[in-house]
Amino acid sequence: MQPETRVQPNPPQADTYSFLPVWRSLALQLLILTSALLLIVLIGEFIQSRFETRIDRALSFALVALPLMLWLYVSVLPESRVARPRRRLLGVAVVSALTASAIGLPLVQDFFRVQEWLPLQSVLSRILGYTLTAGFADAGLKFIVLRYLIYPQGLRVRADGIAYAFAGALGYSGFLNFAVVWQLEPSWNVSAIYLLSNVTVQLASSMFIALGIIESYFSDAHPLVLPINVLVAALSTGLITGLVGGFMSGPLSTAGNTDRPLFAVALLGASLILALGIVYFLYSNSERREREAYMSQWNPNGI
Amino acid sequence: MEFETGRSPAVQITARQRWSIAITYILIVAGLALGFNQRESTLNLASEYNNLEAGISAKYPARWLLEETGSFIFRVRDMAHRGFNTVIEVSAAPVGRDTSERNVFDQLTLQRSQVLTDYTVLGYDDYLLADDALAVSMSYSFVARDSSPFLEGVSSIVNGLDILTIRRGQALVVSFRADAEIYQRELETLRWFIQHLEF
Repeated sequence: MQPETRVQPNPPQADTYSFLPVWRSLALQLLILTSALLLIVLIGEFIQSRFETRIDRALSFALVALPLMLWLYVSVLPESRVARPRRRLLGVAVVSALTASAIGLPLVQDFFRVQEWLPLQSVLSRILGYTLTAGFADAGLKFIVLRYLIYPQGLRVRADGIAYAFAGALGYSGFLNFAVVWQLEPSWNVSAIYLLSNVTVQLASSMFIALGIIESYFSDAHPLVLPINVLVAALSTGLITGLVGGFMSGPLSTAGNTDRPLFAVALLGASLILALGIVYFLYSNSERREREAYMSQWNPNGI
Repeated sequence: MEFETGRSPAVQITARQRWSIAITYILIVAGLALGFNQRESTLNLASEYNNLEAGISAKYPARWLLEETGSFIFRVRDMAHRGFNTVIEVSAAPVGRDTSERNVFDQLTLQRSQVLTDYTVLGYDDYLLADDALAVSMSYSFVARDSSPFLEGVSSIVNGLDILTIRRGQALVVSFRADAEIYQRELETLRWFIQHLEF
């Protein structure tokens, strides 16, 4: 009897290269941005500073540029120092901003006209309304940008999905911030709240889209995983946009009602941490599972 | 700097991934369609107004504010709009047998030119009512300013349209005013309002 021989196949030729860690730079940028905006809101709240209109406007536009500058410095420039950089970061950001300008904002503001009928609805109707209008419009457009610019050709490792989604969120929210400052001409401390709100909404939504793309592509997940993530992305937009207005407005009394910007900042900060926490947990979990599967496949003895 | 084993860029998407992308597109379209449906049902939600004394019944957008105190029978205003609130105002006045529509319009013009800034009549035209009766319309414009000078608001140009019909010795005037930027769009609301107005 011929002895049974087990042939151990050789591991495939792995494509190994260096890449920049994405979560650390993302956390750093958000920490700096949130701290700076919180400081501006606090100054506006307690010092009641008022600048000349021209200076106020210039400061507001400088704030619009802040997240983009931070991203260029912390995320984009270091890419040039690695062997195989993420070349499409700027492209994704620019196309996302153009998409927001050409389709996103006109769709939500002029077609759905959400500002005319949603703010006066009940909380649940607001959440549902913003999910079905702004939520699906924003998530859909950002997904389409990622689908045609990086999926699958730009995805080499899971972190690429997060990096490109972050670029898309910053580009998209960058144009929305610019439009708000241009159209409403708010004072610089109010601009800070608008800016934090737009960045939080777009970033939370983009992270869920990225998670869906990563799971679908790298884990070849069930066909419903990606749509469910896009649905959650739209829902996150609906939840944050629907709630932030209520947190911002103070209770109505005989003395009138006052704004509560710190409540809004607290809600936005909590939303940002929660959304990123959920995505990071699921991302790490699936990455760990894939690594374990890889190890067990090529090292059955666990060595 | 970190190192990780990644996929080759040459890897193509699988049939499962193709399905997943197709379902995502369907979900986005379905979500937006539901959003459109919610918008339509909210924007077109109507409330009913009945005034037995004046013999008027009408429907108006439910989200608009109804007012009955003033020099009119009733008026409804879109308070959600920033700047000048779109308004539809219905008023009636007794007229003599020889009074023509033009007399009523001239009277309105005299009154308004004293209280409205830069009030200008743009023209007169016929207007077909829901019961196929012919009414007369007068279009005009003026400049609206914030009531409080401390609000530092910018003035806006307002376009208006008066629809006048004389019946049973009464001149009934439906006045419609909206910010010039959204006037054409808001005219749809006026047409819908006139369709449901009975007097």
